Amino acid sequence: MNLYDLIVKRIKEAQKADSDGLVTNVSTSSMLTAEITLISSLLVALIMLRLVSNVLMIVAVLVVLFAAILAMPLMPRLKRELNDSLFNMTFYVVLALAIVIVLFYWGSLNV
Amino acid sequence: MIIDTQLASLLTAGALIVIGIFAAVFLDNLIKKVIGLAFIGDGANLFLIAMGYKPGGIVYIYLPGMARDFFAQNAAYPLPFALVLTSIVIGASTMAVMLGIIMVLYKKRGSLKASEILGE
Amino acid sequence: MNLLIPLMVIVPIICALFLNLLHKKDRTIKAIAIILALTLPLLPILASYGIHYFGGYAPLAQNPTLSTGLPSLITGTVLNTFHPAITYAFQDAQKLFIFILGLVAFLAILVSLFETKRPSGVYGFMMFMGVASVIALLLTDDIFNFYVFFEIMALATVGIVLVSGVKGNYETALKYMILGSITSPLLLLGIALLLGVTGNVNITDIIASLKIGVVDPKNPVLLMACGLIVFGWLYGSGLPPFHTIKSAIYSKALPHGAALLQAFSVFTLIALGIIILRIFSYLPFSQMIILGVSLLAMILGITMALLQTDLKRMIGFLAVGELGYIGIGLGLGTAYGITAGLFQAINEVVITAFLFIGFGVIYYQTGESDIRKLGGMMVKTPLVALLVLLAGFAMAGVPPLNAFQSKLMLIQASIQAGLPELGVIMILLSIVTFMTFMKAFHAVYMRPKPADLEIKNEKIPRATILSLIVFLVVCLIFGLFPQLATGFLQAISSNLAGGMP
Repeated sequence: MNLYDLIVKRIKEAQKADSDGLVTNVSTSSMLTAEITLISSLLVALIMLRLVSNVLMIVAVLVVLFAAILAMPLMPRLKRELNDSLFNMTFYVVLALAIVIVLFYWGSLNV
Repeated sequence: MIIDTQLASLLTAGALIVIGIFAAVFLDNLIKKVIGLAFIGDGANLFLIAMGYKPGGIVYIYLPGMARDFFAQNAAYPLPFALVLTSIVIGASTMAVMLGIIMVLYKKRGSLKASEILGE
Repeated sequence: MNLLIPLMVIVPIICALFLNLLHKKDRTIKAIAIILALTLPLLPILASYGIHYFGGYAPLAQNPTLSTGLPSLITGTVLNTFHPAITYAFQDAQKLFIFILGLVAFLAILVSLFETKRPSGVYGFMMFMGVASVIALLLTDDIFNFYVFFEIMALATVGIVLVSGVKGNYETALKYMILGSITSPLLLLGIALLLGVTGNVNITDIIASLKIGVVDPKNPVLLMACGLIVFGWLYGSGLPPFHTIKSAIYSKALPHGAALLQAFSVFTLIALGIIILRIFSYLPFSQMIILGVSLLAMILGITMALLQTDLKRMIGFLAVGELGYIGIGLGLGTAYGITAGLFQAINEVVITAFLFIGFGVIYYQTGESDIRKLGGMMVKTPLVALLVLLAGFAMAGVPPLNAFQSKLMLIQASIQAGLPELGVIMILLSIVTFMTFMKAFHAVYMRPKPADLEIKNEKIPRATILSLIVFLVVCLIFGLFPQLATGFLQAISSNLAGGMP
């Protein structure tokens, strides 16, 4: 089994719950690109932690890299998580509200 | 008086907002959700109007024969009252549109359950 | 002529209200609507800079006739400089923003007049009303007035979605309203906190009272207010966690409606973003939050766009991703970065509208927006295909077009600010944006036509082609002469970057 078939198989497994089960060349390569983009841009973004501390940056990059490799494929999960159901949306909205308020209140008092 | 009027209104406003968010997130019936949303809006309005409260203040209408200094020192702050009126009107129109959409959806789907109508 | 400043808001409101009185006289309505919509981009060009006071007067310090005879209790204190009115400030940045918004609105309305069956009715009303409220958002210097128009804009957005007739539009509109009804009162709460601490809703006065020490800037209530206003900003502009609902809203509107809706989001983002930077730039945390959220919007928006199968949803996610670029510019906090961000905002409005209306031709012809069911449209519409291709090049940032200039500026700004990682991410995501676009372009235009695809409307209205060409010309002009746009933005950026002493 070559690598491409392996990827298609993983995507098919991950998409099993999805309504549109059709896995084509285009959707596979999009999924793959999205996956690589997500992980690489997250890793590059984490390098900015160097402004806080170099050690923290190295640890964070390594942890996220291993977590991402272990949790692959991320994208189908993310797609399922960020779906259009109202419950999910309100959940994330309230979560974001909590995060924003806590960060502003705690973060600004301690900067 | 154990707690003053302003503090009481602020606490009530906070409670209204928290209850409203709870209802909007966790209740499944669309009408109940909308009632929760109305709570959030009311809480914000109550909060806004509490900002204009002045202990022992008078209504900010300059009556004939009133001393200018007395009025200036005792009148409540009028701005929040003007703002809250606008805000209530906006809230009412939003509510009306929302209930209108719910009516249409009920006719189409025969259900008021958010999990059925507003699922994926 | 300062009289033109209120007219910028009043004209579209009048259009919205009175065009419906002529219901059923389609030709007259079309003619009047086109003429009045044409005034939207013209008014900001003609108007001279200035400040307009609605229902009040200029500050007492500038108003000797009023201030004589008043006790020193008023004239001797900070009250002397406060603005006792709803203030609309029209400066050079506003001129550019309102011109671009007016242009996009004019073209979207023009296309809608020829692509929909009925020119009068709710759709036109909502479009004009939304434009009026966004112009007011850009002009106003009064944060409560901002909130009022913010809500009117949300209602107009819902209206545009409701009348589109796309499948599932009611459900999406209701979701948007529910999320909006959670968020907008919290924005109002933030404004109420600001009012409670500073006793003022005029932004200039709030800043003045923070600056001269009437109010303690380290007051924790102000931090709370900043958090709540930032949260409202996320909702208004469709940054995460609102990116799913915002892109859903775009996909459930008609293409010309979506072109207008994304302009609303972008201008809300910069209007409220500028307010946040003006009031709260002394909190270093506010810029970090803006940067973080923008980064998340870029990554999530563009990667999610890759996975979509609905054409409009895909452009919607791309539009959200591009919002991240603007946010990065604002969050960098340097004058050059803010100029770049605002310039990117203008370019993005034009390009996304270009893409929506360009791909909208496909929707107009076939009534289909699922890319799996489309194909072979190149044969039918070679000219539109070329224009759409150029729009895609513009969005990805290919040289002679406008986004190239602004993205280059953004990357330079991020390197200057000491964050070259942001530049790397921006380049990476630009490439992915282009890939997403090419995927859609290939599926729609270059693949063989599926047998069951029906063409409902053979003829493309000339207005659509005209508006696409106008968009292309704007892209080219800003691409070749970026100083035309950045010249208008320098004053506001250096003001914002200065921050508070």
